[in-house]
Amino acid sequence: MLKSWKLKEIVLMSLLAVVFGIVYLLFLHVGNIWAGFIGPIAYEWIFGIWFIVSIISMYIIRKPGAAVISETIAAAIEVLLGNAVGPRLILSGVIQGLGAEAVFAATRYKRFDIWILILAGVGSSVFSFAYGYLLGGFTVFSTGYVALMLGIRILSGALLAGVGGKAVADGLLATGSLRGYAISRPKKGDARA
Amino acid sequence: MRSLLHRMNPSVKFVLITVCMFTMAFFFDPVTPLLFWAGVLLMQILFSQTDWKKWLFFMIPFFIMAFGYFWTTLVFAKETVGPIIWSIRSVHVTELQLHHALSLSFRVLAFSSLSLLFALTTNPVTFILSLMQQLKLSPKIAYGILVGFQFLPVIKDEFIQIQQAQRLRGIVQKKNTLQRLLDTRLVLIPLLAGAVRKAERSAFAMEARGFTGERRGGFFHEILVDKVDAFLGVLFLFVLVLSCTNSFWLG
Amino acid sequence: MHDVISFEKVSFRYPDEENWTLNDFSFAVQKGSRVVVTGPSGCGKTTLLYLCNRLYPDNCDGILTGNIELFGKDSRTFIAGEINHRIATVFQDPDAQFCMQTVEEELAFTLENLQVKREEMENRIKEVLALTNLTDFRYSIIQQLSGGQKQQIATACALIMEPEILLLDEPIAHLDPYTAKRYIEWLDQLQQNRQMTIVAIEHRLDLWGDFFDRIIPLSESDEPSILPKRMTSIKPEISIQATKIETKTFLKPASFSLQRGEITILAGPNGSGKSTLLKALCHLIPRNGLIEPTFLGYVPQSPEFLFLTKTVQDEVAYGGGYGVDNMLQRLKLMDIAASHPFSISHGQKRRVAIAAMLCDGREVILMDEPTSGQDAAALSELYQLIDERAHDGTTFLIVTHDMEFAYCLADSIILMEDGSLTGKFPALAVWENEKLLLEHHLLPPKGLMQCEKSFA
Repeated sequence: MLKSWKLKEIVLMSLLAVVFGIVYLLFLHVGNIWAGFIGPIAYEWIFGIWFIVSIISMYIIRKPGAAVISETIAAAIEVLLGNAVGPRLILSGVIQGLGAEAVFAATRYKRFDIWILILAGVGSSVFSFAYGYLLGGFTVFSTGYVALMLGIRILSGALLAGVGGKAVADGLLATGSLRGYAISRPKKGDARA
Repeated sequence: MRSLLHRMNPSVKFVLITVCMFTMAFFFDPVTPLLFWAGVLLMQILFSQTDWKKWLFFMIPFFIMAFGYFWTTLVFAKETVGPIIWSIRSVHVTELQLHHALSLSFRVLAFSSLSLLFALTTNPVTFILSLMQQLKLSPKIAYGILVGFQFLPVIKDEFIQIQQAQRLRGIVQKKNTLQRLLDTRLVLIPLLAGAVRKAERSAFAMEARGFTGERRGGFFHEILVDKVDAFLGVLFLFVLVLSCTNSFWLG
Repeated sequence: MHDVISFEKVSFRYPDEENWTLNDFSFAVQKGSRVVVTGPSGCGKTTLLYLCNRLYPDNCDGILTGNIELFGKDSRTFIAGEINHRIATVFQDPDAQFCMQTVEEELAFTLENLQVKREEMENRIKEVLALTNLTDFRYSIIQQLSGGQKQQIATACALIMEPEILLLDEPIAHLDPYTAKRYIEWLDQLQQNRQMTIVAIEHRLDLWGDFFDRIIPLSESDEPSILPKRMTSIKPEISIQATKIETKTFLKPASFSLQRGEITILAGPNGSGKSTLLKALCHLIPRNGLIEPTFLGYVPQSPEFLFLTKTVQDEVAYGGGYGVDNMLQRLKLMDIAASHPFSISHGQKRRVAIAAMLCDGREVILMDEPTSGQDAAALSELYQLIDERAHDGTTFLIVTHDMEFAYCLADSIILMEDGSLTGKFPALAVWENEKLLLEHHLLPPKGLMQCEKSFA
């Protein structure tokens, strides 16, 4: 699968991960730790920001695997930056990436319009929630509470990752710096975004 | 002795920690995660040179998070039948609920402590090199990650420069998290545009030095698996099994 | 003597462009020669270089016709990575050509790419570090080194492959002249120690002296005309007065004043605090001291750091100033008013930044290294821009290492060293004081001064 990948595409995903890694660092700073008092639901609304790299990468590069690989790289970079959540992140990166990848694969990597990007965000939300459900032991919570958490996470994935990811990538596209990547040369069969 | 965890092979450490976490996910009593946490701490005390002040600083958010889990589990529990042992206003707490709440809180602490053990005893570059050498991660991805990592200080610096330049144009940092999130977009575009440029340049530089992404013949910096890993591996599993079987030997 | 590189009627274009970047181009390089290909930005120099080390056409899906032979063999017959063992490259951006943290790791990375046996690695690393006089840097973290040092490391990484050809992609474009000169001397020594072919692309040859034995101009454009020495536009009234500006840790108290329409160059060695002073003046970093007025314009080395909107027009109007159209007209931005500010040329970006500052009513403009990496055409555009604004009453404080540029433009020079101001001098007094210039790591604008004498 990696044979068809240009090195510059892989390095681009890595640098996207570094940029967002720095953004995460800014958001998960000390002031926000008090949110922990509210319990596991506190971070749900911002959870989508973790999926944004995979959506932007796929939207720009448009190759099978772009979502999983980029999200895995992003998680690895996050670990390298010294994130205290550590190795657990790498697996969650793979799983989140798979969620988005599944959506793109279902369109056979032909559609990259806003709805597909939103669905990809939802896909990541659902997959990551299943993983969190197991590791976080959400089985002990009442069904209503779990449904609420899932609902917020899906909304966050759809908006922050799907809509936000598209907005960022489109903003970047407008600057003209993405020449030489798939996003800059739409082929026949691409849906009109 | 105090350097063993630092000398341990990062891939082995990574796999062991992952196995431990998944095993722990199936226990909902308070004693198992508590014992496991104690075991992890004991290992870290014995076999690492941890800066405990730093450790505490990193653990504080997790203590708070554990508390968040604790009360959430009490209030939003699934199973509410059984003898009530504790009542605050309209919230009635059963013994099972309390067990679950303590279990999840200790789980948060055990997981966080385990992750911190990894973070504080592992060199990032060695970790990626080890993933490539032991777990057969593709060199294309491994070096892709390392390029990104060495750019960290450069991009951090650019982030600050862009923020400063934009402040001159009248952008002030907001207190509100949501507004700050929206404003970040302004910094993001110049930062990303620069990152795209850097990605292409460094990829070209790597290729110009003969990097093809093929598997490599030999490594200058070989990451080995040796006796230390066997010893610590057995110890990790011992702690895991001991805490999971507590009901047998504690009665 | 046989040809190691030969191009026969080579044409090349990018898949998304209609114009050919290279058109029917032929040239050949003999073994052991030192060749430089020159031309302004955008003339296809870089494309040419990337065809030599086979980064193109694969990396950009470009369209290529004609024949390229490397070492007497069709370049297409080399498998990926094979040619890079024999043709090594040093790129222009000192920040973006490494993938590991330390010098040793970077060198080892290169050796691993070549599938060198592990037992030999240590020796090869020691050898190349000794050859390049970089042994002390073996364990240094690359991103903490200076631009000149990074280019030396990049060269060492190229040399450790023991290549037959060394390609240089404007290696001094981002170095200040003083550092560039030292790099060229160092490279000259290396080439004499270790015979190899050197092919460079470069837009400014003045610093290279007689380093090359053949110059190939890629475009037929005329030699760029030398910038004229401008007439001063100084007016009597003071436009900015800085009193004891200092930062907590580095910058020592600095006081000076500039007059309306005055152009002042701020110069000094790398790390002497020039950028810090500019930022302190604009209050982008915490500082003490008094400054009048406080509302200053600032153009960073990358002007796009300032941009917040999606069109040039919005960018100029962002601060809420009036007379936007007038400003666009005066700074010749009307044609690109609807373009995205990131997609225009570097010179235009700077124009937009200055237009935005002036439109905000900022009458003093501080510029950080606007000359770095610019070719002759861009420098001349920059010169005109500054000259015209100054005659309109704008005051400029410009950081640059380029004393030839400064010589044409400056009314006065402020010199800095180690975080403190050496002083403010009339420009003429500085050009004649070679000792003062060298103390601040500046090369005197010799060529221009001689030129002037012969006219007199």
